[in-house]
Amino acid sequence: MKKKGALEISFAWIFAVVIGAIILFIAIFASVKLIGIGETQMGAKAGKEIGILLNPLETGFESAKSVSFTMPVLSRIYGRCDNEGNFGRQLIEVSQQSFNKWTQTDLEVQFPNKYIFNEEYVEGKKFYVFSKPFNFPFKVADLIFLTSSEKEYCFVNAPEEIQREIKGISQKNMLVENCSLNSIKICFESDTGCLISVDYNGKSVQKSSEKVYFEDDALMYAAIFSDKEIYECQVQRLMKRVNELSKLYQDKISVISRSGCNSNLGPELDALSSLAKGVQSSANLGFALISTVKTIEEDNSYASECKLW
Amino acid sequence: MRVSANYGELGMPHKKQKMKTKGQVKTQQMAFMLLAITLFFVLVGLFAMVFGFAGIKESATALEEKNALLLVTKLANSPEFSCGNSFGTGNLNCIDGDKVISLMKNINKYENFWSKGVSNIEIRVIYPEKQEKLCSLGNYPDCNIIRVMSGNVSGYSAENFVSLCRKESNAGEVYNKCELAKLMVSYNEQ
Repeated sequence: MKKKGALEISFAWIFAVVIGAIILFIAIFASVKLIGIGETQMGAKAGKEIGILLNPLETGFESAKSVSFTMPVLSRIYGRCDNEGNFGRQLIEVSQQSFNKWTQTDLEVQFPNKYIFNEEYVEGKKFYVFSKPFNFPFKVADLIFLTSSEKEYCFVNAPEEIQREIKGISQKNMLVENCSLNSIKICFESDTGCLISVDYNGKSVQKSSEKVYFEDDALMYAAIFSDKEIYECQVQRLMKRVNELSKLYQDKISVISRSGCNSNLGPELDALSSLAKGVQSSANLGFALISTVKTIEEDNSYASECKLW
Repeated sequence: MRVSANYGELGMPHKKQKMKTKGQVKTQQMAFMLLAITLFFVLVGLFAMVFGFAGIKESATALEEKNALLLVTKLANSPEFSCGNSFGTGNLNCIDGDKVISLMKNINKYENFWSKGVSNIEIRVIYPEKQEKLCSLGNYPDCNIIRVMSGNVSGYSAENFVSLCRKESNAGEVYNKCELAKLMVSYNEQ
């Protein structure tokens, strides 16, 4: 006899509900995974595209160059540095905003021949990329400085040549006058309310409690626009390339000597190579290294017909 | 007319058995149906994924092609190739032959340096025309093809016109010699 109040569900219904739930679970799981893959794909594609976009920034003989690019959605560009191997590598990861959440992608695109200086991440839709060649004493690489249009940098009391250069590249978020109240102030002479202080003669940049050292204007911009960790890592990578290029020019000396071109730069290049190899941080860009660079630069400029670079 | 039905000795079992079989068939039908629906969705999902991944491969190839085109235009100006000021005032798209031939010595260090997938970098003198001769440290400059990187070419290539310069001497006097060349970068499709 049927019990009063008892719910009678046939086996067929239980079976359908269980299987239905499994199908729904699999469908939702697969959709979530596919959305994740899609986001990773978009991030990786954006990272690669940014890297490719930076190719024309390799300058020829221009002193500095600036371009901008706009992302379709609000994005965060993470530019990381790894100094392992012969040249180290530049890593780019892009995270985009979707439904008010930042997509998590662990896929980093790598470029061993690029040197991008930025903060931990640069956020915005429009980004500015400014590049400047780094010579030490020969051209080593084009340094790339990545900033967001949402941040304005104000160079207060900058030396004449820096002011001229900033005005020349006309990058909208780098100003020397008429700065807004929210701008990040970069002071070249002691001034109050500065986030970044540059000691142009002492060749150092102070950011909150951190201090880094630079050698030329390219490295000064690098120190201004990047975090200490990224800056120090990129300096080490640049020194690795200096080491390899010094060896390359040493090999070139023996090739051009067959054509009657004799150069006495061999021992100096050898010294530069070992000094560059020993650089562990920007504080090592000291007197010995700089004087070697200057001597090589002078000697090469005197070699009228047989210049190495 | 009186219709009588014979339910056997126990009366109901036949009806129950019939109902049980009917229920089993229904469950089986449902199971098959659910299985068919699951399979259908799995197939649709697989189809969508195949399309999606084909898109990824296409966009990756397109990006690599774009990279190859841009790379070939800037490679000549990279520090390992460029003339700098060694052949007079700075020249754009000028390759220092003496430097490139020296670079070949340690080229293994530069694997994947300019771009991942670059398998072949070649500089070929096109004017003045000469019989093809591959360059090595031994026969340089008496040759016209400098193969900086020599790997299998299974993808696509991009090329750019450059001037290839070197130092030469005549009666003890050193002079610059520049020739018209083609810089070729080949990629391996991955």
